[in-house]
Amino acid sequence: MLLGETGVYLLMAVVSLISTLAVYMAVRERDLVKAVIYSALQSGLYTTLYFLLLAPDIGLVYIPVAVGLIPGVLLILISKTERWERE
Amino acid sequence: MRVVEVVVLVVLVLTLGLLITVGFEYIMPSSVVRPLAEFYLYATYNPYKLNEYTAMSPEAVTAIVWDFRGLDTLFETSVFYLALIAGLALTRRLLSEHAEKPGYGLSLIVKTVTRITAPMIIVVGASIALHGHLTPGGGFQGGSVIAVLPMVIIVVFSASFLIMKGLTTSKMIVVRSLGLFGIGLTAITLLLVSLVQGTHAYVFQNMIKPDAQVSMPVDIAGALISGTLWFFNLFEMFAVAAGFSIAFIVLMLARTLQTEER
Repeated sequence: MLLGETGVYLLMAVVSLISTLAVYMAVRERDLVKAVIYSALQSGLYTTLYFLLLAPDIGLVYIPVAVGLIPGVLLILISKTERWERE
Repeated sequence: MRVVEVVVLVVLVLTLGLLITVGFEYIMPSSVVRPLAEFYLYATYNPYKLNEYTAMSPEAVTAIVWDFRGLDTLFETSVFYLALIAGLALTRRLLSEHAEKPGYGLSLIVKTVTRITAPMIIVVGASIALHGHLTPGGGFQGGSVIAVLPMVIIVVFSASFLIMKGLTTSKMIVVRSLGLFGIGLTAITLLLVSLVQGTHAYVFQNMIKPDAQVSMPVDIAGALISGTLWFFNLFEMFAVAAGFSIAFIVLMLARTLQTEER
């Protein structure tokens, strides 16, 4: 039981670290399409965290909204404006 | 410059980790259930004492969201629709639907795969919404899963394709309004029933209460529906799916008109 709990906490730590990395990549990326994809990756990892923290309701609303709808709207907006971020 | 950024990020993450480790006992939930949570767990599914407070739903989150704190959720829903109405008002000139020639879209492979997955998306969304009183999920979750489908169709085919297939914004507005009307009607059904009977009931009442002896049906032909919860989830699913679809179609149409004017 203790091993299982420790394993879950370790998994949460790893997932959090990867999501931080994804946020950094999304902020640094000059290509906005790639930035949106990094942001969706971060949202997917957050969904894992919500599930591990026993909040599957929030996880279920997070998957379609943060991985499907928001990147879609952002991609539409990017296609209306510019793909590359300027200084 | 980049090295500084990475160092700042690493320090931030490590400090947060250290803080959480030091303050472990304040962040982790205690194993003792508080009295309020105890009441919620006791009242969520209680078929033995129906005359006391109960929501008759095995899913505590949905029971809290739509029964114990239903008015909160109603106002959250209205905030979402007010934002949508503001968006529609901004683009009201663009709402005329002219579907001349659909764009080429993506390749045949992608289109075929989309045609196969489209019913699956709808089934998953409907399952999440209609089982909202039994398993994690609910109307908003199911509705937003279904709303992914028009999004995918707009990307893979085109916005004109969606309109040619009959999924126009005016029809979506009708569906959304019917969903909202259903939510409002479900909230006051028992009040209307009690007015007819000349008894006493509350707005947003679900099951029998000690001082209000009217009740929604617990099940339909043996299938548990938990009274109002199932209806709320159903109507919320329609309203949310239609609302998001309107937003996408309007966004894409706005783009077409702008490029025409240029």
